[in-house]
Amino acid sequence: MEFLAGLVDADMLRTTLVVATPLLLASLGELLLERVGLLNLAIEGMVAVGAAVGFCLVFVLGRSAPTVIAAIVAAAVAVILIGAIFGWLTLQLQANQITVGLALLILGLGASSLLYRGVVGVTTTPPSIGTLPLWRIPLLSDIPYFGRILFQHDLFVYVGLFVIVPVWWVLYRTPLGLRLRATGESPKAVDALGLPLMRLRWSALVAGCALIGIAGSFFPLSLVGGYSDDIASGRGWLALMLVIFGRWRPWTIAAGALLFAWVEALQFQFGVTSKAIPPQFLRMLPYVLAIIVLVRVYGSAQAPAALTKPYDRESRF
Amino acid sequence: MTDTVVVDVEAEVDIAAGGRRDAIIEIAVIYGLGVIVALLVNAALLAALGANPVTAYGTIVSSALGSVGGLAQTLNRMTPLLLGATAVAFAMRAGYVNLGVDGQIYAGAILATGVAFLLDGWPAWLLLPVVLLAGVVGGGLLASIPAWLRATRGVNELFVTVMLNFVALFLAEYLATGPWTDPVAGEAITVPIPDAANLPVMLPGGGHAGILLAVPIAVAASWWLLRTRRGFEFRAVGANSLAARFGGVRLVRIGVIALVVAGALGGLAGSIEVTGVHSRLLTGLTPNFGYMAVLIAVLARRSPVATIPVAFAFAVLIVGADSLQRSVNLPASAVLVFQAVVVVTILAFETPRGRRWVSRLLPGSGRSATDGSPGGPSAAGRGPGGPGPGGDDVGGHATGRGAGTQPAGEGA
Repeated sequence: MEFLAGLVDADMLRTTLVVATPLLLASLGELLLERVGLLNLAIEGMVAVGAAVGFCLVFVLGRSAPTVIAAIVAAAVAVILIGAIFGWLTLQLQANQITVGLALLILGLGASSLLYRGVVGVTTTPPSIGTLPLWRIPLLSDIPYFGRILFQHDLFVYVGLFVIVPVWWVLYRTPLGLRLRATGESPKAVDALGLPLMRLRWSALVAGCALIGIAGSFFPLSLVGGYSDDIASGRGWLALMLVIFGRWRPWTIAAGALLFAWVEALQFQFGVTSKAIPPQFLRMLPYVLAIIVLVRVYGSAQAPAALTKPYDRESRF
Repeated sequence: MTDTVVVDVEAEVDIAAGGRRDAIIEIAVIYGLGVIVALLVNAALLAALGANPVTAYGTIVSSALGSVGGLAQTLNRMTPLLLGATAVAFAMRAGYVNLGVDGQIYAGAILATGVAFLLDGWPAWLLLPVVLLAGVVGGGLLASIPAWLRATRGVNELFVTVMLNFVALFLAEYLATGPWTDPVAGEAITVPIPDAANLPVMLPGGGHAGILLAVPIAVAASWWLLRTRRGFEFRAVGANSLAARFGGVRLVRIGVIALVVAGALGGLAGSIEVTGVHSRLLTGLTPNFGYMAVLIAVLARRSPVATIPVAFAFAVLIVGADSLQRSVNLPASAVLVFQAVVVVTILAFETPRGRRWVSRLLPGSGRSATDGSPGGPSAAGRGPGGPGPGGDDVGGHATGRGAGTQPAGEGA
């Protein structure tokens, strides 16, 4: 009984929302890319770069409201730069998205670690920048149980979770979104209609990479307060899985992000209280779940038709 | 999701089509440019970190190759890289992406360590082969999961292999902190395996005999791919899985062989790391060897034999950077940046536009202008088309890259 109560414990569900925020941001970013036909395997490295840039900026300039905002923006810009390399190679030069993505994944992992060492140096105890202060929403945060879960977060969580609304709105309720989605399904048709195909792909690439970078900066700024080379620890890959899990639709992706975050929050809940389950097995859970989900979803999932296919205007197909 | 990955088929088609000399020169130029760009980028990084790039590069080479001990370290690092890259290249040849080398190394290491503990007391001549084989089985078992899911459910192996990396890592961490932990060490490492299970030392400075296994395996993998019927089927699936299927190749069988053999090679790398380097299981067994293996396989154009020199170069970089870490405080992660810059640059030059640009640098490119093959620039100039219609003779082929025949505006 105590075990079951732990599964819906207010603190644990609150943690779920916190952990879900970067997952959601990163997978929405990846969604934007994949909806225009770009499979970005570098996402894990991009998340790491966002984390390193976000941390280093606040570490150097000290923590205040403007520096935190600057750190988030800088993280987004840094990842956009990596995305620009990706876009230049795959869109302009028509290189293979998978090999380029993997190379940039390594670049991201190396660059983030290098940046951290370059700025912070070698220290015995890793420095901390502290996490963002909580914003208790007046009145609402006093609601028993739900107030604790929903209304006692820092600003990053509120804004981060809200990002799904504009992403969904643009993709599904605007002409631009229709064009973006068409770009991933049939670039030939988009091009034949005289729409700016490359500009559509590039704009989705920039917006998506910005979201992935912001997701990365969430880890040092809001979740951990520090940086380590394994700070992303597979969350980028999980975000990639979430896009498949959500069948390339924002709201199902959000549901998946909550589910995976809840599974991840289990380790915070039971890793402390229970000695019966070794913590490593709890940490395995999200990845095992991802494989199970992949098996369940994969057959029926419809990826954007043009995903990973370079567009050549002169080809006949 | 895509089911097959085509990596640089053109270059191979070029070679097969007879433009061998030209293709080799072009590849050499592209790779040379890639290395030069990476050297420049990293010189800038080194300078930014306050080190003199020239002395730093000198340190890398001298520390990795300048002494027997350094060479031993380089060969030690090369062993898992070579086996991992062979694993990736082998599967990639049939169109499968094995991103799970890291996990397979851990799986192999786990089983090898377990077997070594279990069979404590056996003589070395028997124990060592059994332990190495246990690693092969461990890696193969882990890789059989994506192979099985791919075969029965059509799930893309790329994602499953990545997810299993984390599962295997946490399993290793559990064993190294739990049941097998060394209580004295106080970190995630196990008690040492029996002495009899350790690989013999070949070179002073701890150079173990693993490289003597890895190099022949890479050669054998290439031989198998190029000289056996099943290997031909492999390459056919990798080049065009649909055509291969119509030709009577059973895709499921090829996929299972590709992934399980790849996993077994990764597992062998794991058991070699345990028996040759660490004498125990620990986390941190693979500092991104799996991802590096993918880069090596891409640079080697999916040819297991070609991974030998590339893996050696990567190992030189790693060992050199280790010593830089001590002398100029360069983080080990700089190696990753260097490797990634090499690969990204080469990938850029290998695209159709990049190759046209490179061909302009080649002195021989003027030759093709006089050729005037009927294939014309329209067919030959575009990228994936590869060689022009007259691809059998060198001249007609050369039009494919001859800048002289390109109409104005078609170039970059």
